[in-house]
Amino acid sequence: MLRYFLLSRLVRMLAVFFVIVLLNFALPRAMPGDPASILVNEYNLPAETVRVLRTLWKLDRPIHEQFVAYIESLFTGQWGYSYKYFPRTVYELVMERLPWTLLLQGTTSLTVSGFGMLLGVLAGWRRGTRTDVSITISAILVYAIPYYWLALMMQYLFGYVLRVLPVAHAVTPGLAHASFLEYVADVLWHLTLPVLAVTLTAYASYTLVTRNSMVDVLEEDFIFVARAKGLPERVIMKHAVRNALLPPLTMLAIRLGQIVGGAVITETVFSYPGIGYLIYESIMYKDYPVLNAAFFILAITVIAANFLADMLYAAVDPRIRYVRRR
Amino acid sequence: MTMGSALREVLRVLFGSRLGLAGFSILLAFSLVAVFADLLAPYDPYEIVGLPYTPPSDRFPLGTNDIGQDILSEFIYGSRVSLYVGLTAPLIASVLGTLLGLLSGYLGGLVDEVVVGAVDVMLALPSLPLIIILAAYLGPSLNNIVLILAFFGWSGFARVVRAQVLSLRERPYVEAARAAGASGLRIMFRHILPHVVPLIIANLVLSATSAILAEAGLSFLGLGDPTVKSWGQMLRRAQAGHALDQGLLLWVFVPGLGIALLGTGFTLLGIAIEERVNPRLRFSRR
Repeated sequence: MLRYFLLSRLVRMLAVFFVIVLLNFALPRAMPGDPASILVNEYNLPAETVRVLRTLWKLDRPIHEQFVAYIESLFTGQWGYSYKYFPRTVYELVMERLPWTLLLQGTTSLTVSGFGMLLGVLAGWRRGTRTDVSITISAILVYAIPYYWLALMMQYLFGYVLRVLPVAHAVTPGLAHASFLEYVADVLWHLTLPVLAVTLTAYASYTLVTRNSMVDVLEEDFIFVARAKGLPERVIMKHAVRNALLPPLTMLAIRLGQIVGGAVITETVFSYPGIGYLIYESIMYKDYPVLNAAFFILAITVIAANFLADMLYAAVDPRIRYVRRR
Repeated sequence: MTMGSALREVLRVLFGSRLGLAGFSILLAFSLVAVFADLLAPYDPYEIVGLPYTPPSDRFPLGTNDIGQDILSEFIYGSRVSLYVGLTAPLIASVLGTLLGLLSGYLGGLVDEVVVGAVDVMLALPSLPLIIILAAYLGPSLNNIVLILAFFGWSGFARVVRAQVLSLRERPYVEAARAAGASGLRIMFRHILPHVVPLIIANLVLSATSAILAEAGLSFLGLGDPTVKSWGQMLRRAQAGHALDQGLLLWVFVPGLGIALLGTGFTLLGIAIEERVNPRLRFSRR
């Protein structure tokens, strides 16, 4: 039942969106005082400004009117001004940071999942051999390594000792690039360490999941039949891989949904000018308008990625279209 | 399962696989360090005992931090925080998740729809940024962090338990119990739950790793409990205090190694239990 599948997913996505936005709406209002009075304490604002803010955010109105106003301002892009980067608007800031996050997270998602699935397929295919044991054990050992710690150690090695790679920022600050090509090279050069640090730790979960899924699939009857028919190993592997990649692809879909929010720590360690670093800064400086907008973008990307993943899933796995959840 | 056979099962997991034994040894070592921190630590980790940025020496084996506290003592006390979070957050999450999974799988119907829907939503939520924002608003106390992690952790347990219950409730012995007049509650807790427990324990131990990593990440961002010494917080201080510029490599290296080792201990033990529960995952075919 494709329609049932899509409908249930739609409801789920709306719920996800609602939870994220509601948390963001409710948390500042559940604190002692209201968002305006927090500002007074934090920034020593004059009483007149606070009154204007109260009216603007409708803090003097009942809660449901506040919520409607809140949603309205989110969807119309009227996100106000950043406290920290005043007089810049939040919209400007977010749109300026978003491409960097998409670049960093897009690249790491590809390298992490690609590298992880490749090793997992290899380990599962050669189950019980030395290859399997070494790949699986090293993935288990790597799994618990905090990636920001590896990032710090790599910054030390490549940035301070060898001095071959930049440890911060997305481009060399203050450098006027002679050509577009040089700009691209500079960007890639700055991308190297963050991508390496994340890839070398985060690949492990993809490897472990893919290996187990490979092992499961290889025990199924259709593989047995394929072997009995005398199909070449290459073909059998192809059949197995196609089926074994569904669980790690689900993980990838979840990762893509968290593309905006998953970068908080990575971007903070590398002072990378993306949304994650912006979220970190706005929490540190209590920059609520920025936090609001960042989480709105976050909610949008989560449901967009989930929707995409569901479409792909329905296309790849025909069983989903017909099986109704009991 | 009687006490004796349960004990035998535990011993089999620990000594039946090298992985499980390795994991158990790591956990035992860290537990001893955490319990006897008062005896093992050379100094009070909160006291200023030397000059700031002292390089490693006989007096301070790992050196001192930016305000002159002994880094080795900080590290020893830090094990308590990681162990505490790694044990409590998954435990709360598992109790909650198991209850909901049992009810959802056994009762079906509307309860099932609601629980499955909630689980789907929880799994799609971007946990890290939400954990960060919750920790930022609720205030940086260790127990707040535990509760937040538990809140984001129950859905995994509920899903695993529900799937297991769906197949168990169709078994003949459950039908027999029902025919004999056992109540729903009795069937759920007396006849189905014991068969799900090994699976829950495997997941419990495995999710300790992610709880430890999450707490360390929060502390590293400065959203941890500032009143207790934790490894993530040490890393934060080390980074903020430019430890690497100062040549204090160990200040960064040791806390991260602690997190990685403790996490690995839980992962190894969890995998050993999981292999015992689901032998299909083993390295070799037996």
